[in-house]
Amino acid sequence: MTFKSTSISRRALLQAGTAFAGGATLGLNLRAAFAADAPKPEKLTMLYATSEADSDAIKAALPEFKKATGIDIALDTMPYNALQQKAFAELASESSYYDIMIVDTPWMPALTNKIAPITEMILDPQNSEGLDIKDFIPKVFFDTAVYKRDNSALHFDKTDTIDPAAIKAGGFDVYGLPMQANALTLAYRKDLFDDPANQKAYKDKTGKDLAPPATWDDFAAIASFFTNPAKRMWGTTLMAGSGDWATDDFKTLLAGFGGDGHLVNDKFEPVFASPEGVKALTFYADLINGKKVTPPGTTSASWDEVATSFSNGLAAMTMNYHDLALSPNVKGQVAYAVVPMGAGIGPHFGTWMLSVNSFSKNKQWAFNAIKWFTSSATQTSALAQQLHPTRASVYAAAINDPAISQKFGNFYETLGKSLAVGVGRPRLTNYSDVDRAIWVAVNNAARGAATPEAALKGAADEVNKALANAGYK
Amino acid sequence: MGWGLMSPAMILLLLMTVVPTLYLFYYAFRHEDLLGPNSYWVGFGNFTRVLSDPNIWSDSLSTLQFVVLAVAVELLLGLLLALMLSRKIAETNLLTALFILPLGVAPVVSALVFRVLLDPAYGWVDYYLQTWGLIDQPIDWFGQPVFAWIAVIALDVWQWTPFVALILLAGLQGMPGEPKEAALLDGANSLQMFWHIILPFLKPFIAIALVFRIIEAFKTFGSVFVLTGGGPGTSTSLINLDLYRIALQNFDVGAAAALGICFLIVLSVIMSRLLSILGRNTDILED
Repeated sequence: MTFKSTSISRRALLQAGTAFAGGATLGLNLRAAFAADAPKPEKLTMLYATSEADSDAIKAALPEFKKATGIDIALDTMPYNALQQKAFAELASESSYYDIMIVDTPWMPALTNKIAPITEMILDPQNSEGLDIKDFIPKVFFDTAVYKRDNSALHFDKTDTIDPAAIKAGGFDVYGLPMQANALTLAYRKDLFDDPANQKAYKDKTGKDLAPPATWDDFAAIASFFTNPAKRMWGTTLMAGSGDWATDDFKTLLAGFGGDGHLVNDKFEPVFASPEGVKALTFYADLINGKKVTPPGTTSASWDEVATSFSNGLAAMTMNYHDLALSPNVKGQVAYAVVPMGAGIGPHFGTWMLSVNSFSKNKQWAFNAIKWFTSSATQTSALAQQLHPTRASVYAAAINDPAISQKFGNFYETLGKSLAVGVGRPRLTNYSDVDRAIWVAVNNAARGAATPEAALKGAADEVNKALANAGYK
Repeated sequence: MGWGLMSPAMILLLLMTVVPTLYLFYYAFRHEDLLGPNSYWVGFGNFTRVLSDPNIWSDSLSTLQFVVLAVAVELLLGLLLALMLSRKIAETNLLTALFILPLGVAPVVSALVFRVLLDPAYGWVDYYLQTWGLIDQPIDWFGQPVFAWIAVIALDVWQWTPFVALILLAGLQGMPGEPKEAALLDGANSLQMFWHIILPFLKPFIAIALVFRIIEAFKTFGSVFVLTGGGPGTSTSLINLDLYRIALQNFDVGAAAALGICFLIVLSVIMSRLLSILGRNTDILED
């Protein structure tokens, strides 16, 4: 993809005027507006996540970007907590230092006044040349990038296809382009599942074929079948430790048991302490304490620890946000499946997007850059660095690329399917409070310190208080 | 003339401490929306909110429990270590250097190492406890409150006992020999020597170590954040973890400032008592 330098257009002038007037009306600082004829900077600065959004993929793409545009990217990468603080501090101080910022979905409800909307750019045929916006997976696009500026809790309701004009007409805006889509997928030991002895034993025991679990009942049965502590083998890992991951496990099960995986609905009511929620958490706690199909340390495990346990051959199945490799001393293969379903399905997902800082002095070129980095060609090239793409065409390319299949098995196929049915987070400026109340409840129930009913009721009370404190009620 | 000479130091002090404190008070009475247009005065609203939150009270008690337990164990072990190292033998210098090592490790790094060592699936601690027949099943150190507390205290003790030991060792090495010789001539045994001669002499050094450690223990954040994240449940959640969450995850600066001021007031009361104890005990150094 190349960029053309053009003379100033009436549209660009109008855009500049609109942006200026809008900024002044909203009491924001005077900022450089998008303008098609904006002078090309020598360098753009980008703030990016280290492992959570796969910084290796971006780093590998930088030379190509330089070749295509002549612009250097000064890339700063940080781990999650430091990144959020840095991003919020930069935006709160209205700093123009970063032109491009990566934004995680839980942050965005608080940032609609600070991240530049790019809807007008997308609607402009000249600026959106080569963007192919409809190629983004609609669920990912709407969950990640489409917000109403003055009411960031709302979801846009027509999400079948991506229509920027309809988004604008509905009073919503696009705040970035999705870059890295993470969803909870089920990984399993293909070698163990394919083993004829295991297949026969499982058939004898349950009357069913041993295959990746389609339902949560199958999941529990298979986990029990493989559990053999004497041989240091357990059926599955779970992320029941204190942290966001426990909420993600629970919301996946909640959706699977027919509840609303968003946890809090658009009327700001906690919907996780429902009968479906209680069933889901009871099932979850029973896997740990009743059936005992999880390795030691499950009630303190994060996504990192479960990956280590699975990689070291301690579990036949696991759920995580990324692909997994077995340690060299564990002889076996890994394959992937969409998480099981029950009365419903909804693996947790959350996507990072590349956005333009409202205070950047190079917004036009920052937009050009995020268009380039999220393009189908760039995302396809980044597959080898384990980028989790956000475009349908890239998933098609991944599935048809023997080298990618050889390296990652059916991971990309599974991730694409998972994203299509995934359930995101509620849109709240204080999601971390809600998140904490829920993971504490999940952890308490998983440890047997509280019944699932009591744990969820306590969490719902806390969430109600947190929502009231944040002004939602 | 005197004020003129003092003014640079006073201005620096004003800029470094008084101005930020005034800023803290300013924010404590406001709802400050750093990322949007909705900032306004809320009176005592932030204080009411944080003080009516049962989690804050429970985490305050946890903080107090952490400080008391960790500092008590560190003082006891630090004293034993100092007594061992004060003996004039060839290995003392090497041992002293080795014992200082934990002080040089960043708390977050030590917490990461502890987390790996205590992992029930592949950590060394559970492995050897099982190998030696001390336990049947691996201990889920971070899955049960009692064990999580043991881990949190153990990490702090591992990291900070050498600091206490160094202060006490300095005291022991500065101790004059005459009182001990006189006590020996009078037939005092080791216990009597320790109780009547060494311990009274060490009191000012113990007071100094106590004050420093209590201040630092109240400030503990990184090690517990990494080791347990406040879990299981909220059982090891300290007040600093709440401050971090409110200020740097929710960016609710007003509530964080109000909580910070409450914490500051409580600490000031505790510190004034500790400093008076320190003053009383260090009198003998001036005699």
